[in-house]
Amino acid sequence: MIELTRRDFIRVSGTALAGSTLTTMLDARQAPAQIRGTTLRMLKWSHFIPAYDQWFDKFAKEWGEKNGVRVMVDHIPHLELPARYAAEFAAGAGHDLIYFVGQILTGHYYKNLVDVSDVASGLAKKYGGWMEGAKSCAQIGGVWYAIPDYFISIPVLWRKDLFDQAGLGVPDTWEKLRVAGRTLKAKGHPTGIQLSHCNDANHNWRAVLYCFGARETDPTGQQIVLDSKETREALRFAKALYEEGMTPEVFSWDDASDNRYLASGVACWIHDAISAYRTTQDTNPEVFKSTSVLPEAAGPGGERKNVGEPNVWAIWKFSKNVPAAKEFVEYVADHQKDAMTASRGYNMPFLLGHYTKPMPVIGTDPKLHTLQDIGKITAFFGHPGPMSPAAQEVLTTFVIPDMFTRVCRGQDIEETLNWGVGEIRRIYGKHKAA
Amino acid sequence: MDDLMAGREPDPSAALALKVPVEAAKPRWWRSVTARRYAFGYSLLTPAILYVGLLVGVPFLFSLYLALSDASVGAPVARFVGLENFVAVVQSGTFWVALRNSLIFTVGAAVCKGLLGTSLAFLLMQSFRGKKVVRVLVVMPFTIPIAVSTLGWKWMLDSQFSVINWALGQLHLIGAYGTDAWPVWLGQPRLALASVMFVNVWRSFPFSAIVLMAGLTSVPPEIIDAAKVDGASFRQRFAKVIVPMIAPILLIGALFDTVFTLSDISIVYLLTNGGPNGATEILPMLAYRVGIQAGALGRGAAISLFLFPLLLPAMILLLRNLRRREW
Repeated sequence: MIELTRRDFIRVSGTALAGSTLTTMLDARQAPAQIRGTTLRMLKWSHFIPAYDQWFDKFAKEWGEKNGVRVMVDHIPHLELPARYAAEFAAGAGHDLIYFVGQILTGHYYKNLVDVSDVASGLAKKYGGWMEGAKSCAQIGGVWYAIPDYFISIPVLWRKDLFDQAGLGVPDTWEKLRVAGRTLKAKGHPTGIQLSHCNDANHNWRAVLYCFGARETDPTGQQIVLDSKETREALRFAKALYEEGMTPEVFSWDDASDNRYLASGVACWIHDAISAYRTTQDTNPEVFKSTSVLPEAAGPGGERKNVGEPNVWAIWKFSKNVPAAKEFVEYVADHQKDAMTASRGYNMPFLLGHYTKPMPVIGTDPKLHTLQDIGKITAFFGHPGPMSPAAQEVLTTFVIPDMFTRVCRGQDIEETLNWGVGEIRRIYGKHKAA
Repeated sequence: MDDLMAGREPDPSAALALKVPVEAAKPRWWRSVTARRYAFGYSLLTPAILYVGLLVGVPFLFSLYLALSDASVGAPVARFVGLENFVAVVQSGTFWVALRNSLIFTVGAAVCKGLLGTSLAFLLMQSFRGKKVVRVLVVMPFTIPIAVSTLGWKWMLDSQFSVINWALGQLHLIGAYGTDAWPVWLGQPRLALASVMFVNVWRSFPFSAIVLMAGLTSVPPEIIDAAKVDGASFRQRFAKVIVPMIAPILLIGALFDTVFTLSDISIVYLLTNGGPNGATEILPMLAYRVGIQAGALGRGAAISLFLFPLLLPAMILLLRNLRRREW
């Protein structure tokens, strides 16, 4: 028989009581009382699916009402976020909870962001871990300074009716996509990928590059390895793809041009987010009926790498409401399936546990169900290195799309490669020195 | 005197009182008329000095500090790196493309605005029915918010749905959509630069016309009439009489226009974002991209400061010319 003093009894029972309260609170996702009566201000981008923003605002408001927190959500265009963050940081005031989309600034601001490793590890434990690319956009030196929310996948959207008429099969390789472009351009249905300065150009040409086995850096993000046989092959392929299957209008395209190209019934295939699929569904039901979706085409070595657009949460150190911000981020992660539904299958989760089939929307749509496995082949800019400030500068200065543009315009591949590698080396060198 | 007449010794203090008159109290220097005039003048100037100092001087010095440091958006307190940022900038091929484009953009647009603005000003000086309506319509581009008008042009210059191409196609002046004879306004390097210049000119030339009209109305008609009587042609009257008389206004207009055009980012940002392949990249756009979007504040500031030596000689020349004319 164990003898318990009165003090031991109080200590043990107190610990047990606190533990069970905490467990109950976590299970019920009951926010701690300390956040009651506070205000949480957050900044997000204006989502490409407007219905998602409406859902999110309502969702956040309801969470606030439930937990006694006054929630304020601001939405601004995603390209304006970096300037806004620079201003907030300089002023040392602004939103409590912020959001990086596409342009991931974790590497820039991590010294001024709250360490959210507790939230990240808690979520990983609960949902069976994070997908491979999650760390690169949220971790610095093994510490989580951001919480990945979702990513946007960029699959191949192709016209099955046109492919069938021309006797072409499923375009599961880039080579088949090139042949389809050549065949169908002659019939008035060219293809198109942006050869301009826009986000999509960055994603799409990186996807070609990575599928061909080329990489910008080594896994540490320190060595530039772009000068390779694979890069030359990818550039040569792009030139053929452009000359055989595209028209010069791709040099002027923005992020929405390919959506319109597909919806107008002209394109035989495009490489874009499923917002293009939704636009076509809403504006041209006839074309939509024969539009199919493929997660990614394979390169010559069989490699498939879809280059997604990451979205992550972060909390400023000067935030006046860190506890509420952390609580809310966890709550969002717990409702990722609702978010997928609200975004009509656009948002793809980072947490592996959310990949249980059938996934919302895409799991029940026969044309989209293959996207349920896209997380396994998704990479992000800088891959296989981290999304460092240097990788971010390479992205925002459009070095990779400009390399492809130069070659498609007729510039020599070696000359182009020298220019591109030179620019990237200069950028990485500058950041290393800093 | 009374003492002497009475045979007594004179009182020395009384003599002193008579000989040395009491001097009037000297006014303090700040109470002088000149000092008060100075004080009044400077007090009137102070708001302007403070305004220029705080809104122009401080940001300029701050950007100079950033350009000489390795500051980034996440670490504005940084170490001194001397001219490293400037060296890194000039080593980049993109910078030279942006510099070339900035010069072409500014000079080309200025020439077009000068020509169009002059023609329009003379046109609007004539008497015709509906002149007031035309004047309102002409200044419209200048009054519409730049984002709205530029997005309108983005649609009109769209590669697929361009109304300009549609109209040209109807007139059989261009080939069919999808062929090489179909102009892609924002996709072909020279056309893209010409298009952004065109939108800038379209938006700003009414300003040039208004400036010129303001000048033209200040020229006394008798002088023009006298030149006519002397047999001066229109060209001679314009070059030898009107331009010298309205030169100060023209120079101020040119000064404003150069600064506005060289630092204009909105049109390029909305139409092409500097593409394709840097064909429309200009220095302010590159500075924003490197400094804010990529977060390298030091290099971004260095790029933006390259505008300063470009603008400074032009400003000095213009202002010196202006001053000489005033004397």
